[in-house]
Amino acid sequence: MASVKIPEQKVILCGEYGVGKSSLFRRYTANTFVTSTDRQSTLGLDHFDKTYKVEDKVIKLQLWDTGGMERVASITSSYYKFSEAAILVFALDNPASFHVLSQHLLDVVTYAENAKIFLCGNKSDLLPTSRNGSSALDSSSHVTDADVETFCEQCHNLVSATYRTSCRTGEGVEEMFADIARRLVQSNRSRMELQSVDRDSFKIVPPEEATEPSCLC
Amino acid sequence: MDEEYDAIVLGTGLKECILSGMLSVSGKKVLHIDRNKYYGGESASITPLEELFTQFGLPAPDESYGRGREWNVDLIPKFLMANGQLVKLLIHTGVTRYLEFKSVEGSYVYKGGKISKVPVDEREALASDLMGMFEKRRFKNFLVYVQDFKEDDPKTWKDIDPQTTTMGQVYEKFGLDRNTQDFTGHALALYRDDDYLKHNALQTIRRIKLYSDSLARYGKSPYLYPMYGLGELPQGFARLSAIYGGTYMLDKPVDEIVMENGKVVGVRSGNETAKCKQVFCDPSYVPDRVKKTGQVIRCICLMDHPVPGTRDALSTQIIIPQKQVNRKSDIYVSLVSYTHQVSAKGWFIAMVSTTVETANPEAEIKPGIDLLGPIKQKFVRISEYMEPTDDGVESQIFISKSYDATTHFETTCLDVLDIFRRGTGEDFDFSKVKHDLGDEEQ
Repeated sequence: MASVKIPEQKVILCGEYGVGKSSLFRRYTANTFVTSTDRQSTLGLDHFDKTYKVEDKVIKLQLWDTGGMERVASITSSYYKFSEAAILVFALDNPASFHVLSQHLLDVVTYAENAKIFLCGNKSDLLPTSRNGSSALDSSSHVTDADVETFCEQCHNLVSATYRTSCRTGEGVEEMFADIARRLVQSNRSRMELQSVDRDSFKIVPPEEATEPSCLC
Repeated sequence: MDEEYDAIVLGTGLKECILSGMLSVSGKKVLHIDRNKYYGGESASITPLEELFTQFGLPAPDESYGRGREWNVDLIPKFLMANGQLVKLLIHTGVTRYLEFKSVEGSYVYKGGKISKVPVDEREALASDLMGMFEKRRFKNFLVYVQDFKEDDPKTWKDIDPQTTTMGQVYEKFGLDRNTQDFTGHALALYRDDDYLKHNALQTIRRIKLYSDSLARYGKSPYLYPMYGLGELPQGFARLSAIYGGTYMLDKPVDEIVMENGKVVGVRSGNETAKCKQVFCDPSYVPDRVKKTGQVIRCICLMDHPVPGTRDALSTQIIIPQKQVNRKSDIYVSLVSYTHQVSAKGWFIAMVSTTVETANPEAEIKPGIDLLGPIKQKFVRISEYMEPTDDGVESQIFISKSYDATTHFETTCLDVLDIFRRGTGEDFDFSKVKHDLGDEEQ
């Protein structure tokens, strides 16, 4: 059987420093969690491939972490290039990290025009007894469902889906990535062929051991 | 900022970003600062287009240029040799994963007032109007010699000691005429002037091999160009540095490089001082420690058509060997376009550059400009070529040289590797880069 290349979809994590982007990345790669006291920074995390099966289709999500550049400086514009999806992450217990998302959204729209945008409220474990939907929470110390809804309306429904996760407990994390994979497969069905024609740029790979001796003459 | 670092890097141009990446990878604690609010310094690709017009003091571009955001215009034109130093650095550091490239479609050389394609295979060579029939045969003998030449096998040297024989003498031995020498030395070995004729043949043979090995990688030409412009390169190395723990600060003025007993001890910005053992920077951060050794003129030309006579190539390089236009240094023309996501659909960006030789540099690049056909907008810039006044070992301030007029990154990489060696006392150990850095699969 001829080997068919599994389409690779670059998915980037965006959002303020400390909202849990790297924790999401760790859950995604190894399903582990490190508490903040044991963790210093985003050292050594780059990107990670994972294959998802959506009905009859196989898709490879390639999740990228920021590398911690947002700590003091801004993220390079090249981080956004070639991405098919962006996950805007905020901490549910930190309204400031939510209100600043419009800036991150603007960056995504500017540098990765075609990326699908997802919204992820992390640290759901830090919400006080949120049994079902938790719409009664005080909006000064927490981000409520209503806040999220308003945000999605304000940005003209650019947001494809919203999720709620806890990296500490792992709740909702795998479900989110599986759902993103599913949505990317759906939106790609029509686009896939078009794309393969258009992208004739390539990545540099090391030369094979015995390259043909070249001759200019 | 008030912390202590092993090294502080000033400026996020390509050289500084490669150095920052190499230092972080080597386990050094690095702080990387830029006074601008964007990455790349001189090596940035300017976007949107309005920003380029503003930088050159021109009124905003009209709507014929499309959306400004679609433009990423380099200030310094260069291509990557497919088998050159920068590609090796990209592969060994893993930075290659952040970038995508396209092969440059054609390489041309100027002879007797018109341009000819540099042949990429025997068929093109036979059809080429660069040489007459007999000269072609002599040239072929020469290329076969270079091809078979192995530095560690004197049998392949065929009675020519590459260390003691000059390149001029080698040309003579093969009976190559002036035009062929011009073409070989400038379009294949990529020398900017004719000094190499007096030097040993080994350097030139190496360069011709680099050209043909690069050509063998992707076929159309030995050159590569990154999607979205050269500004992606420093950003890729900056990410490498960040992933290995480097801290980035943009939009941060550098007010003082703090010295003690002739050695650098820190960098001050406002009332904050970061302590450090070493500083690595571009010349603009240390005006009192660099000297001007020349000037480079670069002219960016926006056009709505390819270069005439290049078979409508969407990317190309043209070399005008100095003798062809009675100069001491070559004139370079490079062209990239919308296919590289650096301009709006249908637009081309040509760049004509050379080392300045007279008081009227704009007149010097005329032979290059004349090849382009109608130009919609020109942006001319003359840059000082600066070099450090010392090797930095005493002060522990290591300064990169300005970007020269060469069309590729070979000298850029040599400078970087040399600075790294001076700064750390050792060559960069590529094995320190973990190749599994998130690259493994599930």
